[in-house]
Amino acid sequence: MAFPSPQAVTPYTGPFGKAELLHLLRRTLFGVSPADLKAFEGQSLEEVVDHLLDIPILPPPPPIRAYQGRNESVFDTGVPLGTTWVNSKPIAGEQNPNGARRGSYKQWWVQLMAQQERNLREKLVLFWHNHLVTDTNEAVDLAVLAYRYNVLLRQSCTGNFRKLMYDITLDGAMLRYLNGEKNTAGAPDENYARELQELFCLGKGPDSQYTEDDVKAAARVLTGWNINYADNYQSVFRPNRHDKNDKSFSSFYNNKVIKGKATAGAGTEEINELLDMIFAHPETARFLCRKFFTFFGYYEINGEVEQQLIQPLAELFRTSGYELKPMLRALFTSEWFFKTEYRGAMIKSPADFTLGMARQMGISWPVEENAFEARYFFASQLFLQMYNQGQELGDPPNVAGWPAYYQTPSFHELWVDTATYPKRLATVDSLVVRGISTGSGTQWVHAESKNKSFRADPFLFVKQLNQPHDPNVLIDQLVELFYGVSVSQAVKDSLKTTYLLKGQSTDFYWSAAYVAYADNPNTTNPEARQVPRQLQDLFAYMFTAAEYHLH
Amino acid sequence: MKRRSFLKQIPGAAAVTVIGGQTVRADHTNPLLQALYQMMYETDRVLVIVQCNGGNDGLNTVFPLDQYDQLKSVRGNMLMNSSSIIKLNDKTGIHPAMAALANLYQDGKMGVIQNVGYPNFNYSHFRATDIWLSASDSDEYLDSGWAGRYLNYEYANYPVGYPNAAMPDPLAIRVGEGIGLGLQMMGTNMGVSINNASDPVNLTGNIFKDPAGADYVGKELSYLREVQRQTDKFGDVILAAYEKAKNLSTKYPSVNNGNTANNLTNQLKIVARLIAGGLKTRIYWVSTGGFDTHSSQVDPADFTKGTHANLLQGISDNIAAFMDDIKLLGLQERVAGFTFSEFGRRIRSNASLGTDHGSALPVIYFGKNIIPAVVGDNPIINPNADFNSNLPMQYDFRSVYGTFLNQWFCVPQADVHSILYNQFQILPILNTANCLSTASHELNVQNGINAVSVSPNPFVHKTRVDFESFGGFVRLQVFNNHGSLVRTLLSQDLPKGKYSNDLDLEGQPTGIYYIRWENGPLQQVKGMMKVL
Repeated sequence: MAFPSPQAVTPYTGPFGKAELLHLLRRTLFGVSPADLKAFEGQSLEEVVDHLLDIPILPPPPPIRAYQGRNESVFDTGVPLGTTWVNSKPIAGEQNPNGARRGSYKQWWVQLMAQQERNLREKLVLFWHNHLVTDTNEAVDLAVLAYRYNVLLRQSCTGNFRKLMYDITLDGAMLRYLNGEKNTAGAPDENYARELQELFCLGKGPDSQYTEDDVKAAARVLTGWNINYADNYQSVFRPNRHDKNDKSFSSFYNNKVIKGKATAGAGTEEINELLDMIFAHPETARFLCRKFFTFFGYYEINGEVEQQLIQPLAELFRTSGYELKPMLRALFTSEWFFKTEYRGAMIKSPADFTLGMARQMGISWPVEENAFEARYFFASQLFLQMYNQGQELGDPPNVAGWPAYYQTPSFHELWVDTATYPKRLATVDSLVVRGISTGSGTQWVHAESKNKSFRADPFLFVKQLNQPHDPNVLIDQLVELFYGVSVSQAVKDSLKTTYLLKGQSTDFYWSAAYVAYADNPNTTNPEARQVPRQLQDLFAYMFTAAEYHLH
Repeated sequence: MKRRSFLKQIPGAAAVTVIGGQTVRADHTNPLLQALYQMMYETDRVLVIVQCNGGNDGLNTVFPLDQYDQLKSVRGNMLMNSSSIIKLNDKTGIHPAMAALANLYQDGKMGVIQNVGYPNFNYSHFRATDIWLSASDSDEYLDSGWAGRYLNYEYANYPVGYPNAAMPDPLAIRVGEGIGLGLQMMGTNMGVSINNASDPVNLTGNIFKDPAGADYVGKELSYLREVQRQTDKFGDVILAAYEKAKNLSTKYPSVNNGNTANNLTNQLKIVARLIAGGLKTRIYWVSTGGFDTHSSQVDPADFTKGTHANLLQGISDNIAAFMDDIKLLGLQERVAGFTFSEFGRRIRSNASLGTDHGSALPVIYFGKNIIPAVVGDNPIINPNADFNSNLPMQYDFRSVYGTFLNQWFCVPQADVHSILYNQFQILPILNTANCLSTASHELNVQNGINAVSVSPNPFVHKTRVDFESFGGFVRLQVFNNHGSLVRTLLSQDLPKGKYSNDLDLEGQPTGIYYIRWENGPLQQVKGMMKVL
């Protein structure tokens, strides 16, 4: 592109107050709770971003069996209830446990997202899942490979992009999803080679001029890899299936020739040459930076954004050897990220909407060790809510990811239409009004999983705020926390009068009722007894507003 | 019996009305005639589009029997015996999994257009799908869909003033997925999407009435509120229509037999009920996936079976059941449709018993009022085809769209040309009798609130834009037919009232332009033609 290359990404130098902190946290966490706000208040922008990027190296404990507990002795018998299945091969002759294990894997993932720590990991795992797509249920099928893919994304999420591309190329789930395991010298399969360029590294922008022949040549470089199903599903290189001829690339890649090799190390050597060639092209860094900004900042990349943000950010990314942390740090401390016109201008994804609501509300998860059946059940219900709204975690619609993250001209608007909007309302109903409950069903082996419920408690929520007995201060704080956009005093007054004052005209009505209820939840004062219900109605209503779908 | 002759036989008619181009005397006291009047006047032709995502292997769907040996030489690892293929005629056959469609062909209700595509095929799923949805050239990027442009032509004022007495229903319904580019026009959804006809729709009056500004946030607030409004306004009519009718066919496949293409069953059942329930909706769009058969598309033990056969059977059984249903429901004169997929697959199969992304492919069309035929020649199979060889196109895919627009929806050829941005040949696939009267089109065009108009139109290089403000922020923009913004005429708050602005496009190329009017949450797009 013909833009002059500026020196560096312009940092944000304006005030870093509550509004800026909220904007940063909304985009980097699933939901912002009063506790999140308290944890970061008073810190500088650099301190907060460093904290968000400080991600524990150790992976979380693996998914466990919470499925079919009553059938422990006939189904997936190698895996006792409450223990992990990731190291146990399905037992021949038994019913295939992969369907149940895939469910377990997704419920494990949902719990990690909905109970995330205060860092960028979960948002980044979703970013990478949407960028380096594999599915779970169809092509990949084997739960253990879907799990390992997820572990790879979480361990690499702020590491080195070049290394991640190497690892994902040989990832078992990816070898299955894009047919890498079927790609042989005799019958090259272009699926991965195409997406490696079109979707993963270079894109289809005007500066990405690789050719159909480059796709074919890359496919030949990648021939020979498959999965050793007998040996713990390890990816292996089979030299006899590898194309040993030279592979020539177009002028877009400076007519690079990758020498065909026949050795046992040919597979890794040629992939490294291929990735070096792709990563030598400056478009790779630009493509990734655009994708990050689209996901975290705003979808429209006009000439100004390209020149002032993408170009210098990409230059930083490239010259740092594709290390992700310095690039992300520059992005989240940039002037562009904090532009006021972008604040509140993105429509929440189903994950943001659903998990964000659960986490923001601080809905409590049962903590007893033996309540894992209930925990996995609640996760399955959250998964279902997102699925209904158009985001099936683990199974994006296709290799390009969810269209709302890339499809021009509508982008995030694609999340909400006349089919999915009512599903969002149903989620509000489930999490705030009706709640989800395990009941006393016989399917739960452990008593600790019975009669557990998962529902927002608006009273506990407002107790954490300042002066909740003052209806004006309370509404101000709720509006600030729930909406990324400003709301007029007229709307605030309407909310207060309709839900807190019940049509009365003096604020004292609410103050008296609230104080009486806070003082004694078992009060017989009829007005005080209405407080939890009033708050529930208020929250449910506030979550159906168009404003709540923005962040 | 044809519609016209039937109407002529009704005795005792009194009031004069125009129906389907015929002057009919209608007596509203006669219950039989009243029922018929309702049916004829309130409903007309329906198009059902079946989208098959992934790229269907045309050469394993429709077989060039006269090229069988050549095909065998390039697809030896997966081509079934010629005796297994069901013959449509001496030279062309169809996959045995599509026996139900072959029967429809014998009944005169199905046909095949061979080798449909466009010059310079794109092999990316996403780009190729956009090309099919927008009806663009291979290297052209449009941000409106072909069906969206047609609906904008037919119902020029939509969505302002909709729904209304004359058009209380959605213009188009996408079942099972989001609206998609195909039914969009300059950012406006020209139809609604439903996943399930019994969606809960429980919108109430809204406290949140802050005006949406002209910034990014305002854009999304307007969008979300428009969806809220649409959900509200069409929810009831869709549900009412759905509950009014029942499916009558017993031929729909059982849904749980593991075949992914059977997600069409529920979708097509909903479509049949909505048509029978009396919706005036013009276009129904359904879709299924799984056609990206890079590997294991046939069963190595029996090439007539396997993943691809299952998919084809899903398409075939479901369309046949749907046709049976609408026949039993008395709707078959009014319904036609076609299938498409973003591309075909390579001539030569790969070693994993699959096929990679290819080019031209057959389109299947169906309906009582179609002309059953195998349109076009068999593809020529070069026995020396290598892994990169592809079939050339014979018919442009936009000919299929153009033919349905011209001969099913009765759009004059010149207007088809402006909807598709080019002239494409009309194919002999539809019975051309019984087109709608132009009077009906005129009524549709005037329906709703005309918030912006251009006159003169066509114009030389200057014209005048008349528009309305309902109060608040108004924006007027001019776009070219690629969806690029050419000019912003106006962007300001205006009190309620009628206004005019001159538009001078001197120096701009001749061709089709659009004026887009935006006022608060409302928007409207009108076409115009610069001729010199």
